[in-house]
Amino acid sequence: MLFRVTQATTLREFMALNALEQQALAEINLAREQPFRLTDHLSYVRAVSVVLVLSLWEIFGRRVNPLFLSYPSAIGRAFVQLLGSGEFERQALGSLQVFAIGLSAALAVGIAFGLIMGRYRLAEYVLDPYVYALDATPRVALIPLLLLWFGLGTSSKIAIVFLSGLFPVLMNTFSGVRSVSANLVDIGRAYGAGEGKIFTKIMLPAALPFVMAGIRLAVGRALIGIITAEMFTAVTGMGALLIRYSSALATDKFFVPVIFLALLGVILSSGVEKLQKRLAPWKETERAL
Amino acid sequence: MTEAADEQLIDELGLRHERRWSVYDHPNLIRTASVIVFLILWEIYGRRTDPILFTYPTAIAVAFWKLLISGELAHQLLVSLSALASGFGASLVLGVILGLAMGRSRLAEAALQPHINALYATPQVALTPLLMMWLGLGFAVKVAVVFLFAFFPILINTASGAKNVSASMVEVGRAYLAPPRQILFKIVFPAALPFIMAGVRIAIGRGLVGMIVAELFTAITGLGAMLSLYGNIFETAKMFVVIIILALLGIGLIHASQALERKLATWKETERAVI
Repeated sequence: MLFRVTQATTLREFMALNALEQQALAEINLAREQPFRLTDHLSYVRAVSVVLVLSLWEIFGRRVNPLFLSYPSAIGRAFVQLLGSGEFERQALGSLQVFAIGLSAALAVGIAFGLIMGRYRLAEYVLDPYVYALDATPRVALIPLLLLWFGLGTSSKIAIVFLSGLFPVLMNTFSGVRSVSANLVDIGRAYGAGEGKIFTKIMLPAALPFVMAGIRLAVGRALIGIITAEMFTAVTGMGALLIRYSSALATDKFFVPVIFLALLGVILSSGVEKLQKRLAPWKETERAL
Repeated sequence: MTEAADEQLIDELGLRHERRWSVYDHPNLIRTASVIVFLILWEIYGRRTDPILFTYPTAIAVAFWKLLISGELAHQLLVSLSALASGFGASLVLGVILGLAMGRSRLAEAALQPHINALYATPQVALTPLLMMWLGLGFAVKVAVVFLFAFFPILINTASGAKNVSASMVEVGRAYLAPPRQILFKIVFPAALPFIMAGVRIAIGRGLVGMIVAELFTAITGLGAMLSLYGNIFETAKMFVVIIILALLGIGLIHASQALERKLATWKETERAVI
């Protein structure tokens, strides 16, 4: 539409239309204004929708009992208050520490076992019944058992994060190694590469896109793992704050860790995505071939 | 050369030896051996440790039998499954409707997308305490948690399925003067079905997790409550029974959804081959 309109004006300007033609143009109304359509202004729709929901929440939230529902400005106040007290940072740091330890252990063990199971059939057949069984078990169901074994402290949280993150990495590494072309390995052998070289120079790089996809899944699962574990033990960390504020019916404070966790999830997953593009940039080419 | 000469030559060259028996040709043998060795070691080791912390296979079998006879297992399983089914059913209906709307209307997409993204980015477990505060500890909170866990995979997959419907199919429908309703139900929905089913498969697993989380927290009825209860009174063998039931439930539901996917969305593979 826009294209035709500009075309019409340029025609009129440069080709010096005669009166009849100009009249015809006016009659078929080519130069008319485009009618307003909402679909041309989707970003406004998005902004209006967000503003509308937030202000409705604010208005409605102020009317209901603050024990049940909070409202945006109260949450903002609670955020500032919690950040000022230093309590929030301490708990967040504690959670992140446990998260990092558990996730690194899951990555190390998952990649190692995935490589071994992918490379050696005996290992695959010996281990795969357990791997598949544990992978199918909802990990949350293991939380009470892990609490029984490891107590309410840091070690049980690390164990839960570990178990949450382990299987995505293990399964993806495993299928990545299995998809490595036998030709690559044969060529390595022909040039006298030892088993160690075959692992580090052929298997791991070829499986890396799969491993990275597994890591991305694992980060999300581990985050859920740490929250659930902390909600259960309810002693320290973000999950404990969630339980504490909800038990105290401090709804405004409750939303602070929720928002923090949502942001953390977004940041972590986009970070892993960037890392994936950097470490395994050949994935797209592979797919295109 | 005659066949007899061939045979003779093969004999002379010593080519007729039997293929050597290799353990790698019998993966299930290795698997079975692995499981049996594991169970025996578990039994031996488990009997030696404190029964409060650990248990062993025969004790689990006995516990299973006891729970089965008393009817407790069947009762709690039924309670759990009905919460799972209600929550999942609600998320399926609402997810597909909203997903189709978002996939077909750019206006609906723009209006809903920011909220959906924000809620999807939030780890859903973190909202469980809030739901408990609002809905109490009963059946309603379980349904709500299952709904929350299962809703987003279905919604997001349906929306991207409805968005990816080939425009030429919709145009053909329009050219034959199909009313919008028919375009939605006869063209868009079937074309999006493989996506929807993939979402359903993810959602079932997550719904199961939601069910367990809700029951662990409310700890009144259902399998999750049994888990929590037996954990607190150190009945480890009974806890293992529940864990195994939940694992089997997970495997069963995933297989069922895969079978359903194959049955309902048979054209997926063909489509993929064409592209």
